[in-house]
Amino acid sequence: MNGEIHESNLFSPRVSKDSSMPINVLAFAGSPRRHGNSETLLDWVLASMGDDPDVAIEKIALTDANINPCRGCNACEKLNKCVQRDGMDIVHDKIIAADCILISSPIFCLGLCAQVKALVDRAQVFRSRKYVLKLPVVPPERKGKRLGVFLATAGQKWDYVFDAAVPSIKCFFHVTEVRDADISYLMINGVDEKGAIESHPTAQSDAQKLGKTVIAELKKRLAA
Amino acid sequence: MAVTVLGISGSPHRHGNTETLLDSFLDGARAAGASVEKVVLRDLDYKPCMGCNACHKTGECIVHDDAITLFDKILAADCIAVASPIYSMGITAELKGLIDRGQYLWAQKFILKKLYFSNNHIRKHKGLFISTAGLSWDNVFDGAFPTITAFFNGTGFEYYDNIIANRMDEYRGIKNHPTALKESFEKGGTVVRVLEKLKAEPGAEK
Repeated sequence: MNGEIHESNLFSPRVSKDSSMPINVLAFAGSPRRHGNSETLLDWVLASMGDDPDVAIEKIALTDANINPCRGCNACEKLNKCVQRDGMDIVHDKIIAADCILISSPIFCLGLCAQVKALVDRAQVFRSRKYVLKLPVVPPERKGKRLGVFLATAGQKWDYVFDAAVPSIKCFFHVTEVRDADISYLMINGVDEKGAIESHPTAQSDAQKLGKTVIAELKKRLAA
Repeated sequence: MAVTVLGISGSPHRHGNTETLLDSFLDGARAAGASVEKVVLRDLDYKPCMGCNACHKTGECIVHDDAITLFDKILAADCIAVASPIYSMGITAELKGLIDRGQYLWAQKFILKKLYFSNNHIRKHKGLFISTAGLSWDNVFDGAFPTITAFFNGTGFEYYDNIIANRMDEYRGIKNHPTALKESFEKGGTVVRVLEKLKAEPGAEK
């Protein structure tokens, strides 16, 4: 099973592996363009994570995931769930179950693409659970044992091109009980045309390194 | 000809804080004699940008839906007021979905080089960003500004002003804010008077 990535359109079960200590990795490929630069970057990280036989990976392409924007109705503050019935119903449980959550996004107009922003905004249900209803998002023993990864690519070369996207990603991880210090970032600017990231000098090796580092850290924390 | 003002409400929540602040701006513009229209994004039917880059070749979007009709209105307006609450430190997914769809204009400008906004055009087209946030943090709007800047650049508008109010949770709504609604009304009148003067300049383009 090494290196295998199971891609789900939300209707197939998680890959289960014969292991005493499976590490559940949940990855959101946020770009509407399939297999472009940001998703390639994600695939590199996932392939490197998947080298470890204890790792079970599920990748969800947000463009196919049917996650609507938040309606701003605040009903989740009372109901502890969203009133919308869509792809988020399934994603919600997967977010809670994951040991590591990765989100990849291209930068469009200096921000997250709309598909990723919709996912981030729909995490409002976790915010309501945590801060309004004062209920646990994950069991207490799993706090501090969840890691987050944000991967982004941008066509522009400006070094500030990711600045507006990061705070929204921090919000998502904050309400899903991934601590700020437990988010890793790999953001590559100056890649625009499909495949441009392939000729980037460091992106692939940095992605592979990141995958290994995150899994090693998770194993340490889960064993503790 | 009257100054045309287009308000775009990016909140999914009808008649909430942000839309009320926008309404106040539009009331001010109307009182100053402008021709005013408001568009509510949640009532429109459009998809987010699919990132297909077909527009890089043709300058046109292959998806024909309400987003394109709205961009036609935006390009025809003298003033646009774009309103969104802050969700998770950024604009709403609805508004981001619309802004991303402006990629075909970017392609017309920078790839096909068939769209060009002169400095004179830009100074006669004013864009305002209207926003509210529940949190009290001073930096709560910072994630929105760059995207709004990109939007105004892409559509040929000068980023003229912000009308923003945080601490909505604390105030329990915009109606209890000491200054925001009045400020918004006044700014609506001011920008219309500024644009009237600019439009009256002799021999100038629209």
